[in-house]
Amino acid sequence: MTNELHNALADYLLALADDELILGHRDSEWCGHAPILEEDIAFANIALDEIGHAGVWYRLVADLRDERPETYPDQLIYFREMADYRSAPLVELPKGDWALTMLRQYLFDALESVRLERLAASAYPPLAEADAKIRTEELYHLRHTTAWVRRLGLGTEESRRRMQAALETLWPYALQMIEQPSAELVEAGYVPAEDDLRHAWEDMVIPHLQDSGLDVPHQTILPPFDRQRHTEHLSALLDEMQSVARLIPDARW
Amino acid sequence: MDTQWPRFIVFLQERANAPHQYVGSVHAPDADMALMNARDVFVRRPACLSLWVVPASAVLMKTAEELARETITYNREDDGAKEPYFVFYKLLEKGTLIHSGEVDAGSPAVALAAAYATDDGQTAKAIWVFPAKAARCSTSDDIQPMFAPARAKTHFRDQAEFHITTTMQQIKRGQDDDE
Repeated sequence: MTNELHNALADYLLALADDELILGHRDSEWCGHAPILEEDIAFANIALDEIGHAGVWYRLVADLRDERPETYPDQLIYFREMADYRSAPLVELPKGDWALTMLRQYLFDALESVRLERLAASAYPPLAEADAKIRTEELYHLRHTTAWVRRLGLGTEESRRRMQAALETLWPYALQMIEQPSAELVEAGYVPAEDDLRHAWEDMVIPHLQDSGLDVPHQTILPPFDRQRHTEHLSALLDEMQSVARLIPDARW
Repeated sequence: MDTQWPRFIVFLQERANAPHQYVGSVHAPDADMALMNARDVFVRRPACLSLWVVPASAVLMKTAEELARETITYNREDDGAKEPYFVFYKLLEKGTLIHSGEVDAGSPAVALAAAYATDDGQTAKAIWVFPAKAARCSTSDDIQPMFAPARAKTHFRDQAEFHITTTMQQIKRGQDDDE
């Protein structure tokens, strides 16, 4: 692998990891506050899984950058400045109501599942291996959120109204969350092309949203988007997430 | 007003050839969600091969005292079209309800009477019966998506792997010194 490919792959994986981490953190904000006890447990579990997946990708980034996989993820998570994060706005948005949370998680899970399907055949073996570990959990997330989207969409007048509002808020952000890998990375067979992912994702989510009684917004032009820029919400999130670790930087947890 | 969703009783099978056992209950709007909630609440860590959920309202539950007192008799009149009922016995004081098989009966009362009439029924601390059709059972297709994630997880990690208590004390000491 050339140096450029190395770096491009590390950047790609960093974006994946950051999305998982930030979404996992957002999800964890429901811990103790979900609508029912059973869902509180389920959703805290999903939050933990996403943070765990972030760890898997961060360790691959460490390998590619010749950093120590035991310590580098913590450095990236707790001691990186906001400008160096590569998360998409979709995962940075505040948790909103239960409809928004569940719909965001569903849109994300659907993308993750089509991406994982493709990464399983990645020409970079460590990536294909990591993929298998994450896939069993992700299969379950998708099943869970698919069922919730359907029930909220077809539930009461209020649940449908909230879901429709959430869909209108999230849709433009959701279109942006698909990573744009360099042409070299795709040609080398390391990661799937953006178009391929986008079509597979749309083929999965649009029919399900419609079956769930929701009107999918018509939006073909993507809002301009750059993973180096962030919403104001990320700043508060990082303040909270990093505060304890920064209190005693050399602590063993 | 009771705003809770209906309650479902959960039975879990740990491995092949082991009977399903009562593990607790979950609230859910329908049987499919009940199965998912049961997975989330009861299959985080331990092994699981199969889950059954059944609306609590469909389960006829009697303790040994109630069974002795009520002396349920076989009543032909309410013995309508026969259907299979699942039978669960609690045989040990500290044990849980364990699936022991099925009986065909025309009503829950008749199913219970049939279950009570067996040897295990006479010594049971409690008997539960419910129509098989009331249960939503996980299938072999559910094993991979529902139960595989828990299998990779260890039960408990050693306390020594966590340094959080020491670190929290360290932080607290630092704050006390500042005051």
